[in-house]
Amino acid sequence: LSTWHDLVTASLIGTERTVVPPVGIPGLPPAADDPGDPAAILLDRAALLTAARRAGRRPDRAEPLPVCEPDRRPAVNPAAAGRLARLLGDQDPALLVEWLTAVVARGLRLPPQYLPALLDLARRLQPSRAALADLVAQAGGPRVQWLAALNPDWKFVAAALAGEDAWRLGGRGQRRAYLAALVASDPATAQDLVNSSWAAADPAERKMFLLVLADGLGLAAEPLLEAALDDPAEYARAWAAELLARLPGSALGQRMAERALRCVRLEHGERGARLVITPPAECDASMRRDGITPGPAAGPHPPAYPPAPPERIRLLLGVVARTPLRTWTDAFALTAAQVVASRSGEWAPVLFTGWTRAAIAQRDHDWTAALISHALAGRLPGTAAEIQALGQLARRADPVLGVPDTLPELWPDAPPVISAALGVLRFRYDMLKELSDDGHDG
Amino acid sequence: VAERWNRARVLALARDASSLRAAQLLATGRSWPLTGAADGSALWGECLGSAAAPYRTVVDLSGPAYRCSCPSRKFPCKHALALLLLWSDDAVGPDGDPPEWAATWLASRSTRASDTKDPKPPADPAAALRRARQREARVATGMTELDRWLCDQVRQGLAASQRSGYRHWDDIAARMVDAQAPGLAERLRALAAVPYSGSGWDGRLLEEYALLRLLATAGREQAALPPPLRDTVRSRVGFTVRQADVLASATPVRDHWHVLATRDLDQDRIRIRRVWLRGQHTGRPALVLSFAAVGQSLDDSLTVGTKTDADLAFYPAAVPLRALVAARHDTVPADPPPGGTIAGLLAGYAAALGQDPWLDTWPALLDATPARAPFRCLYDAAGEALPLHPGAADCWPLFALSGGHPLTVAAEWTPRGLWPLTAWDQGGMVVRL
Repeated sequence: LSTWHDLVTASLIGTERTVVPPVGIPGLPPAADDPGDPAAILLDRAALLTAARRAGRRPDRAEPLPVCEPDRRPAVNPAAAGRLARLLGDQDPALLVEWLTAVVARGLRLPPQYLPALLDLARRLQPSRAALADLVAQAGGPRVQWLAALNPDWKFVAAALAGEDAWRLGGRGQRRAYLAALVASDPATAQDLVNSSWAAADPAERKMFLLVLADGLGLAAEPLLEAALDDPAEYARAWAAELLARLPGSALGQRMAERALRCVRLEHGERGARLVITPPAECDASMRRDGITPGPAAGPHPPAYPPAPPERIRLLLGVVARTPLRTWTDAFALTAAQVVASRSGEWAPVLFTGWTRAAIAQRDHDWTAALISHALAGRLPGTAAEIQALGQLARRADPVLGVPDTLPELWPDAPPVISAALGVLRFRYDMLKELSDDGHDG
Repeated sequence: VAERWNRARVLALARDASSLRAAQLLATGRSWPLTGAADGSALWGECLGSAAAPYRTVVDLSGPAYRCSCPSRKFPCKHALALLLLWSDDAVGPDGDPPEWAATWLASRSTRASDTKDPKPPADPAAALRRARQREARVATGMTELDRWLCDQVRQGLAASQRSGYRHWDDIAARMVDAQAPGLAERLRALAAVPYSGSGWDGRLLEEYALLRLLATAGREQAALPPPLRDTVRSRVGFTVRQADVLASATPVRDHWHVLATRDLDQDRIRIRRVWLRGQHTGRPALVLSFAAVGQSLDDSLTVGTKTDADLAFYPAAVPLRALVAARHDTVPADPPPGGTIAGLLAGYAAALGQDPWLDTWPALLDATPARAPFRCLYDAAGEALPLHPGAADCWPLFALSGGHPLTVAAEWTPRGLWPLTAWDQGGMVVRL
């Protein structure tokens, strides 16, 4: 008797050109010769056989997968799991990195169903965000390794190299992690390693060296960074200056403070304290060495900017942004909030932008709080530079600022940038608080 | 009084992440100078926005359904979501009578709702009868035409179908629309994709043609069929049964219905949501369908992983599967549902096919483990396996959740394989796939 396959073949050829094969179905009497339309007969037999084949379907056999190692860490609570799903939907790598860092720090386990999407995202952002891949590997634990063994696309997390192999063979993220660990355990060897690798390293790599050393060593990295201020490569000089400006107590910071106080004076007049500004006249060699670049300011200036030549405004901004923030509070005997609130007329946007950049670089919580509060309750930031700096400040601020009632109320018609900045802070506060809430399941 | 929804249930209504984020920012008393609620059945509020006048937002909790004066075309918009969030935090104004702008809309909703439940009798019974007879005649002619078309295909050979293009099926589908047989039209339109569905397409096309001829034949001879089979044939051809008639004629089945899975499909500018239920005591499967125009919100009242004590009214059919929620009594605590075996699934499907040979989507609830060889599949404790549907994406979340361990999986079983929709991990946590 014929099979389904014969019927399909006959239907492909067409009953005009072939005969309809007889079909037998177990349990049914064989079809009698039918005098009707062969096409109709073929379709009727096919219908019978379709129902019979579907109803009589036999199961297959599978080859089981290996069983994944257990992960003993407690799972994140359902609220945090829901947030992870939304973060993945938004594809916002910066927030994801922050969230995953907090998960790893608290020793929690990720909901496994989100690991594939996380792995795909980490893979897509691989070269630029090596940190994300490392975090996914850590937070995902053995389940991530199990998945990576099934999907070649995810091999990048399985290639966790240990020890010196990470330095010799690893990607930038792994090299960075290796160097950071070495800085913590054996700073002298770490410095030697950087010295011996410097000549062959590309610009991004050198930037990474400087970042890790500045982060891990603090002031102990100062001699190396000071030496890099005289490096032949411009980007190395610029980064060394940038990092020295972040180091509290650095000589560069001291030089900047002296420049800054020559430019900004506190005057007590009949209408209270105000800041009087004298922007730097020119960019001398020592300023240039400390990372302040001369030349025309980028982009047109909004009309609110003070009546001064653009390059002098830019020099002032460069100096304020690199000046240790305690310079102002010490010299004027005021709190950060009082300094920020002091009148400075048309120079206010320049000072606000400079202080905001300094607060970001120096990770200064008091100033961050003062600047955001000022933007919320005091003068509206008006210029593009101010708005951009404020947005970055809110992103980097300590999430503690998002605690309800820490910051002033938002008035209803606040410009979007302010509500967005506040929204980011509240969001990050909620996000981290949620991870620490009780109610981990499993 | 409806139970206050928790935050998670509200957040689940958001159409996308951006409206969610916007809603969370708006969900503060400062943005809402006026809010109110009516006895847990409706909410309203005025939200300060960028426009001069505040936006006016109303939520009918029974749908839920939303109305807002903002220009957003998302349903629910961020204002409606924010209002629900406030309510979930117990931060809306006191119960009371809605202001006029909210009351008008709410009243029009409740009239419409009662309209669909108690349709007025047709104005002219004689004319209605005449129209019904006309339709029967048109459908019968259409089925004859379809049968002829099907036989022509097989006479000329299906080999040409791969070169035919969509028009080939769209034309005959359009003729079935003219013949007022939308069920046949829909099946035909779906066939256009079959020649491009990979190896075995020829067999699948023959199956569909054969089942369509069977349907057309059964439709023409429906008078000779037993009533339940006749109902099945008529509904597959495209005759609809009014909800009111279902509610009036069916004996309601009361049970604790576990909401196992939902699947949303877009079809011809209409969004369809299938919700699969299973009765805890009766063991009966049920399918609740809801429809919405693209951009409108689908019925969210049945949440996957929950269990509802409810009366279901089943549409008449040889295998009664589709049902309406006739009355909801209570939400009961849900534990993971008990999964079955693959042998049990196949036996149940075979029995159902004996009643309704056109049945090609059957609910599966299995205790099973996913595997990737010899093809992606689920296997049970007896070692029996069924393939996953090739269209069901890569199913990585299912694999990630399993880690090589068994799960309870709710899926749709089709002749091409299992389409996994929901899984319960070993801790009993429900995950929509």
